[in-house]
Amino acid sequence: MGNGHILQMKNITKTFPGVKALSNVTLEVSEASIHAICGENGAGKSTLMKVLSGVYPHGSYEGSIIFQGEEMAFKNIKESERAGIVIIHQELTMIPELSVTENIFMGNEIVEKGLINWDKERKKTRELLDAVGLHISPNAIIKNLGVGQQQLVEIAKALSKNVKLLILDEPTSSLNESDSENLLNLMLGLKKQGITCIMISHKLNEIAAVSDYVTVIRDGQTVDGYAVEAGKVDENKIIKAMVGREIENRYPEHTPKIGEVVLEVSDWNVEDAKVPGKMLCKNSKFNVRAGEIVGFAGLMGAGRTELMRSLFGKNIGIFRGGTIKIHDREVKIDSVQDAIKNKIAYVPEDRKMLGLNLLDSIRKTTVSANLDEIKTRGLLDFDKERAAAEKYRVSLKTKCSDVGVGVNTLSGGNQQKVVLSKWMFTEPDILILDEPTRGIDVGAKYEIYKLIHKLADQGKAIILVSSELPELLGMADRIYTIFEGKITGEISAKEANQEVLMKKMTITV
Amino acid sequence: MKSKKVLSVLVTTALAVSVLTGCGGGRGTGESAPAANTVETAGTEKTDSEPANDSSASDSSEGGEVVGVALPWLGTQNWAEAEVMFKEQLEAAGYEAIIQAADQKVPQQQQQIESMIENGAKVIVVGPVDGSQLGSVLEKAKDAGVYVIGYDRLLENTTGVDGVVQFGSIQTGELQAQALLQGLEELKGEAPYNIELFGGGPADPNAPNFFTGAMSVLQPLIDDGTLVVVSGQTDFTQCATADWDNSKAQSRMDAILAGNYSDIEIDGVLSPNDGIARAIITSCENAGQPIPVVSGLDAENESVEWVWSGRQYSTIAKPTNALVAETVSIIDSLLGGNGMPETDVTVSNGVIDVPIYELPPVVVTKDNAKEVFADDPDRMALLKD
Amino acid sequence: MKYVKKVLGEDLRQYTMVVALVALIIIFNIASGGKMVTSSNFQNLISGNAYVLVLALGMLMVIVIGQIDLSVGSVAGFASMVMAITARQFNLPWYVAILVALAIGVIAGAWQGFFLSRLGIPGFITTLGGMMIFRGGVIWVSNSISVPVPSELKWFGAGYLPEWGPAFTGMNNSTLLLGIIAIVVYIIIQLKKFTHSGDVTGIKEEFWPVAVRIGLVTAVIGFMTWIFGSGRPGTSFPIPGLILVMLIILYHLITERTSFGRHVYAVGGNKLAAELSGVNVKRTYFLTMLNMSILAAVAGILFVGRSTAAGPADGTSWEMDAIASVFIGGAAVSGGVGTVIATMVGGLVMAVLNNGLMLMGVGADKTQVIKGFVLLAAVAFDVYNKKNRR
Repeated sequence: MGNGHILQMKNITKTFPGVKALSNVTLEVSEASIHAICGENGAGKSTLMKVLSGVYPHGSYEGSIIFQGEEMAFKNIKESERAGIVIIHQELTMIPELSVTENIFMGNEIVEKGLINWDKERKKTRELLDAVGLHISPNAIIKNLGVGQQQLVEIAKALSKNVKLLILDEPTSSLNESDSENLLNLMLGLKKQGITCIMISHKLNEIAAVSDYVTVIRDGQTVDGYAVEAGKVDENKIIKAMVGREIENRYPEHTPKIGEVVLEVSDWNVEDAKVPGKMLCKNSKFNVRAGEIVGFAGLMGAGRTELMRSLFGKNIGIFRGGTIKIHDREVKIDSVQDAIKNKIAYVPEDRKMLGLNLLDSIRKTTVSANLDEIKTRGLLDFDKERAAAEKYRVSLKTKCSDVGVGVNTLSGGNQQKVVLSKWMFTEPDILILDEPTRGIDVGAKYEIYKLIHKLADQGKAIILVSSELPELLGMADRIYTIFEGKITGEISAKEANQEVLMKKMTITV
Repeated sequence: MKSKKVLSVLVTTALAVSVLTGCGGGRGTGESAPAANTVETAGTEKTDSEPANDSSASDSSEGGEVVGVALPWLGTQNWAEAEVMFKEQLEAAGYEAIIQAADQKVPQQQQQIESMIENGAKVIVVGPVDGSQLGSVLEKAKDAGVYVIGYDRLLENTTGVDGVVQFGSIQTGELQAQALLQGLEELKGEAPYNIELFGGGPADPNAPNFFTGAMSVLQPLIDDGTLVVVSGQTDFTQCATADWDNSKAQSRMDAILAGNYSDIEIDGVLSPNDGIARAIITSCENAGQPIPVVSGLDAENESVEWVWSGRQYSTIAKPTNALVAETVSIIDSLLGGNGMPETDVTVSNGVIDVPIYELPPVVVTKDNAKEVFADDPDRMALLKD
Repeated sequence: MKYVKKVLGEDLRQYTMVVALVALIIIFNIASGGKMVTSSNFQNLISGNAYVLVLALGMLMVIVIGQIDLSVGSVAGFASMVMAITARQFNLPWYVAILVALAIGVIAGAWQGFFLSRLGIPGFITTLGGMMIFRGGVIWVSNSISVPVPSELKWFGAGYLPEWGPAFTGMNNSTLLLGIIAIVVYIIIQLKKFTHSGDVTGIKEEFWPVAVRIGLVTAVIGFMTWIFGSGRPGTSFPIPGLILVMLIILYHLITERTSFGRHVYAVGGNKLAAELSGVNVKRTYFLTMLNMSILAAVAGILFVGRSTAAGPADGTSWEMDAIASVFIGGAAVSGGVGTVIATMVGGLVMAVLNNGLMLMGVGADKTQVIKGFVLLAAVAFDVYNKKNRR
């Protein structure tokens, strides 16, 4: 392997009909290192990894792949896995109803005399789980594991295939802080064992923490690449390379104009529908004022989303008492329709699963939560519909050729803008934003932040739920912390910092 | 603005048209008053089905008048034979034959008959899937001047039928019952005899007739105690076999035997056709009963073998050949300009009285099988010693 | 191509089935020596298939919502059988009998809607049960014997519009009037659209594509009017066809222009997202199933009118024809996709295929095989198209 490079991808060009997704990209990865790749959504990171792993077979792209000193021509994933390259996707690909053992050996079963040797498989699974630091039974059913544990099982599965190069696509995007840290430590451990990792990530602090080298891709081209001294990385430099411009401030300046209390929730209790006795919300009490942005901080599973969805028409769990006052008047909200009538809007955290009908066009999506508004004599009026869609396309700067195109053709950031349009069209007084910037690149995030400020300035009461503490600190006027379904603290933005919040997010007061 | 102008012009045009319409008239049917064809259109004012014949006479010079034959399906031997024989005999007589089978689906048969009309058929022979569900289609045929001949089954509920060729269905039932009695006396000793009754598929208008014919013979003997229907099921609705389905008959027989014949023997069973007869015999054999005297119908190959070997007492031959030949002779008469042949028998189909051309069926037992099938080499081959 | 797009709209793919339909008609007309495109055959085509197309209207919405209804044939058979018995056994007038049939549709639909929406039992299972229940019901109430219906009902399945007005038109004047109304209404709509075209986008449409469009549609409707109107005196555009056209317009409006229609697509596209957008998912499921069974009853009435009697086997496997029409019309198995017009085109493709093959004397066996291949080819083509678009 001579020069110490386990992998060299040279002058990779990949064209889709009408689009050049990659153009002359070069990537060199040193043996036993952690190599980070970052770039905006749609920059070509995933395409590059699909070329590497054989999803796009040899011949469908230009350029060469040299792995462990030999030129490779993978026709499919099976071939790349045989060579020792394993990719772990953002969406986990295990079968939820089957056990850890069955999943790890799926398609790779230890067969003796035509039958599966379960004892051998279980024993091997045990060893692999130990190697990734996961202490669960090999017989555990996947769906009963947390997302973080599932991720570790994926890695164990990769190890079972004698992996030499492990590719992790946004590995921590759905993990909480402690699981993330766990995973990063595991990567460092694998590196010691001589396994090379490529990590695609948005999270600059993670890149700084573990990676040895960073490559930045923008618009299908390699823009920058430099070695990182562990623990030291110039975040601004990376961001600048990613977006092609200097972002002076990641959060726009804003002076809040805070008014009367709009929403007041007290003694809010919700029980888990699946686990009797487990409370998703315990005596929650909070308020939001007009023009105010109130942040909700909590670890994954703390009950932030559950609180918001139960407020939004008792959409989750079993309601066990509590009151909602809007403008000092108690209201009954038993369905999403009631919530919308009471001028509440909820932008869910999972855009594709909960926020959008991916089959719909932008214009249909924009009006979908407020069809009455576009009716003329009882029938939907397409002119009004187009007018509404156009209005929000312009004001939110949604990038699309026409509002008639399908939302599935848009990038994550633009999809989120369409979801926001849909809820702005209901003209809510109270806007609940659940992880509004998840999976969105830096540039689009900034625009969404500005939009949130604009909405606050219109006097709307805004609830911002986020896993990213810097985002909460940068955006919110006031922050509530949640731990195990309970509101554990209320801090004004000026007094808050990451340490204070984290403490309240991990301890019952 | 512009659009409004165009609009108004168009509306005026539409109005003008609708005003013009006020002056009454209609078209074509000069002889019939306009009031007659306001709602009831198809078929009511039709007196002009005959004139179509004149035109047919002119193109018959080229030979090959089109004759349509719509059969219900080809799933039993008699229908499969009918398809072949119609083709042979119609073509031999110089007609162009369109023969289609409807796979037991009513909509399919309706559309097939329509397509025959479109193809210029002068006569359509209809072996219906369901004799009462072709009403409006047959009236369409009538309006188009096409003759409709029912084949083997009555065409009900329509004026669009000129005659029906069939084996006498009441008579068939009588013959089945007589054969059953003859067999009981021959094989089962002294009366009383324990018997059970089976009917055919209720959707087939023949089925109740078979049953009625049979009961006209059997009922007096049931009343005087010569015959005992042990299960007590003597109504057609109780005895009917939906869709002529053999397996349904077999399960009914299984149930009757299990419920009523645990300690007595069954002597005879009235069966409406051969398939059901074999199902009944199989059921009795499975239940450990001695084989009863069973009647049948259709002279299917397998049953002819069974009759020959003594497992099934009798069947009834309705020689498809004869029925087809009769039908073709009627077609000859019609297309030769001689109209429908004379017949004494008519049956009401619910709307009109339909002329019926009945052929006598033939009882087949082991004793006379060789005589009956003397002209039928295929079946003779089954009668091996 | 650019000009064609201006007339027909950007998405030309939606016309592939229309092209296939026209091609089939032309091919069969040549192959059968001109027997396809005749007044009487077109009348047959419509009255012989109206019931399947009516079922397909309801089935489209059921499939869009991500469900399937296997019971439609049985419900149609049951509703029409009860209607026939009501009229015959109880001597009630024909319009009462029709109301009874529709009421059966409502009850059957509410029953199935209840199991799907309230108990969450998948439509496939709910309606598989319904299929057995209502088929058994037909045989039960009829004793497997066909029951003739009052002659008034024949009008719904095989009736024609009245003849009136001047004879010089050489046509059935009712049909002519309908044709003219259709053309006028179309022109009004197009011109209205044209005058408003710039209101939102600021880009005024050119006039010539509108004119071409009007010309095209006028020609098509004019041709249809002539074909249907110039048949044997006493015939016209068939009544079942007229009922079908009215239903098509109604359901086109429902699916495209009402909140309920939007909700159907929303639930089919992403049920969770629909729920979080304020759609009452249960109500939408319920109404869709209810609607399907009512349309099944209508289909039963049309068919029985044509047959002049309700039979015990009526409706057998009709659901398959309806489902095939919907999928040939480009609907997605996973739900959320499909339009009324495309479904009708899909149903007509099947109908023309059936009719044309019969005219050529092809047997039912081979016809079945060919229809199966067409279904597969149409869906495969659709899937291939969608893949290539990515």
